[in-house]
Amino acid sequence: MTDPAFSPAPAAEAAMVHAGNGTPAPAKITVRDLNFFYNGFHALKGISMDIPEKQVTAIIGPSGCGKSTLLRIFNRIYNIYPKLEAKGEIVLDGENILDPKYSLNRLRSKVGMVFQKPVPFPMTIFENVAYGIRHHERLGRAEMENRVEQALRSAALWDEVKDKLKQNALGLSGGQQQRLCIARGIALKPEVLLLDEPTSALDPIATSRIEQLVEELKADFTIVIVTHNMQQAARCSDQTAFMYLGELIEFDKTEKIFTKPNKKQTEDYITGRFG
Amino acid sequence: MSTPREHIIKSYDDELTRLTGEIVRMGELAVTQLEAAIDVIERRDERAAQRVVINDDAIDHMEQEISHDVVRLLALRAPIAGDLRNVFAALRIAADIERIGDYAANVAKRSIPLSMVAPVTPTRSLGHLAELAAAEVRSVLKAYQERDAEAAYKVWKDDADLDDAYTALFRQLLTYMMEDPRNITPCTHLLFMAKNIERIGDHATNIAENVWFLVHGEPLTKQRVKRDLTSSPDMEPPV
Amino acid sequence: MAGNNALYVRRRIANIVALLLSSLATLIGLFFLAWILWETLKQGISALSPTLFTKITAYGEDGGLANAMVGSLLINFIGIAIATPIGVMAGMWLAEYANRSKLGASVRFLNDILLSAPSIVLGLFVYTIVVLPMKNLTDGAITFSGLAGGIALSLIALPVVVRTTDEMLRLVPSTLREAALSLGVPQWKLTMQILVRSARSGIITGVLLALARISGETAPLLFTAFGNNYMSLNPIDKMASLPQVIYQYANDPGEGLHAIAWAGAFVVTMFVLLLSLGSRLLFARSKVSND
Repeated sequence: MTDPAFSPAPAAEAAMVHAGNGTPAPAKITVRDLNFFYNGFHALKGISMDIPEKQVTAIIGPSGCGKSTLLRIFNRIYNIYPKLEAKGEIVLDGENILDPKYSLNRLRSKVGMVFQKPVPFPMTIFENVAYGIRHHERLGRAEMENRVEQALRSAALWDEVKDKLKQNALGLSGGQQQRLCIARGIALKPEVLLLDEPTSALDPIATSRIEQLVEELKADFTIVIVTHNMQQAARCSDQTAFMYLGELIEFDKTEKIFTKPNKKQTEDYITGRFG
Repeated sequence: MSTPREHIIKSYDDELTRLTGEIVRMGELAVTQLEAAIDVIERRDERAAQRVVINDDAIDHMEQEISHDVVRLLALRAPIAGDLRNVFAALRIAADIERIGDYAANVAKRSIPLSMVAPVTPTRSLGHLAELAAAEVRSVLKAYQERDAEAAYKVWKDDADLDDAYTALFRQLLTYMMEDPRNITPCTHLLFMAKNIERIGDHATNIAENVWFLVHGEPLTKQRVKRDLTSSPDMEPPV
Repeated sequence: MAGNNALYVRRRIANIVALLLSSLATLIGLFFLAWILWETLKQGISALSPTLFTKITAYGEDGGLANAMVGSLLINFIGIAIATPIGVMAGMWLAEYANRSKLGASVRFLNDILLSAPSIVLGLFVYTIVVLPMKNLTDGAITFSGLAGGIALSLIALPVVVRTTDEMLRLVPSTLREAALSLGVPQWKLTMQILVRSARSGIITGVLLALARISGETAPLLFTAFGNNYMSLNPIDKMASLPQVIYQYANDPGEGLHAIAWAGAFVVTMFVLLLSLGSRLLFARSKVSND
């Protein structure tokens, strides 16, 4: 007969799995009292948040809540438009990236971005990935080929394109184009990857592929994803931030946000009760 | 049932697999508890019995873990179709196993007063009843793990054997009590324990129904012979 | 129910009337186009002979249009060669650097005025700033020239190229710019290497359209290239051109010259038609590959 004094190990092990998410990772990006204006419109109001390293942070909220704006400040892409002003601090690895002295070139090699619609450059698949690398580094032919292959592999695209690297990237399917854009971004070996509604133009299968990719990429990158698809935030993020009318309403572990949010506004939004 | 294709998002598969694993482990723990309970009756070991009672907390804890996982899966993965049945069945099966654990602990608890009085013969029959119940739970867990609806159906059907054994033990206990009033105390305890074990079988059939639903997406509606006849009026003790 | 039915019938009638009227308008337009082509072909076909392409205008009724064709090609080439780089660069500046500025808006407005300026005004302008100073500088040795004609045509082509380049670049989605900039690529590289490449077929189409536009121009050439009955490849000499010879021959009382003028008109028309078709094909193909 079995010894009744069994070990309680299984239960403890099960508990560990949940605790895995709970260990606080060090913050990669620290946002402090960020305010943003365009044409005098106060678009972001006093945002403060810590984005943990090598995790996926999702930003959700209704259209116009400022989620994309916030993302675009992280690599200062807003700089290309006039009349935009950001006040406050965004500290990346101990340096304030909003400081005008912070080099845009350096910032953009550290913070990559992927957009809503796949936008491959009008060149070959290979050149699409190599283009950005060439701007930042001088590499030999073999080295460059290696880097491009690596990037395409990380973006889970290599097997599909390895025989047609010399073909125009515009011939790829939407999902493939988006993964190519991700490959282009990670080819620069950034530390942070910003994804601005990366699957809104894709079908469900291509969307799942990107989500699986996001999960794989977080081993190497700190990922911030803006999405209007709440289920996507639920499926692939560790933290979720809910924004409304330019304010950060709630920022917590994704599981917490989707099972027991602290704020009524968050609950109303994610349950579809928003008035 | 054929092995379903993997999800594109691999961690979804991981979570579903883990859920099944947790259920199976919880079930095994419950069966172990039942066997341990019978073991302590035979050994008349009060301290071991206490341990069985305390160990039921671990099963309760696992049920909470599974509920938590289920809520998490429902909230974050929004499962549908087969995945939804999977998650839904897991929640219900966990509740049944938790009850099985409770009954096993009850059996162990009653073994303490039982060990205070002189041993009676039907105790051995109780062991036999428990073995039947344990085998039933094991089979249904295997059916769950393998998503084998037919095997689950067989367990569901064969619960009648456990009912038969229970009815027989019931008669036996009545006979013993009538023979000698000193037997009444231990036999009453045994009666309750037998009832507990019979209930374990009922929960095993609940699990079988959930396995059937999980696989086929519809309730198990076949007719089953109920053979727990102890409440019928002709259950008079033989004179 | 009956009321609904009446409404439905009324709508159907309105629909049929609208369809008939618009089809009729289209037919009228197409009818005149076909008539022009048919008339040009009918009148010109008798003079369409190898001599048209081999003999020069000096032989009159017995000659051809060889010197005028060569002259036209040369003058058009000069015009496009001047207008394309300037126009593309200006279009780039408008679209990429001055897109949202007041200065950009005013330049765009001025360009539109130039686009609709009467070509004879441009001819007179070039006469004043090129032909006359050349004459004064060289004591009359150089007056009218193919070069001056090319410059006049370039002023007509320029706004077309500026406008299409500007439009085509602005059609490139802004996300492409953001994507490149987010890789740290500077603006000039972005414009030259990515945007121009994206808009390439549109820009080429614009240049071809400009070429089609200038190849039929007559008025500015009268004051600038003047005309020449002999073959001339020298850009600072007087030069013949098809539209100018057609104009001249059509005014001549002799019937024989009229036929040659019709044949010349047919050649110019076909040239323009082929250019338009070519640019359309090019643009259509690029549209497909962009989807």
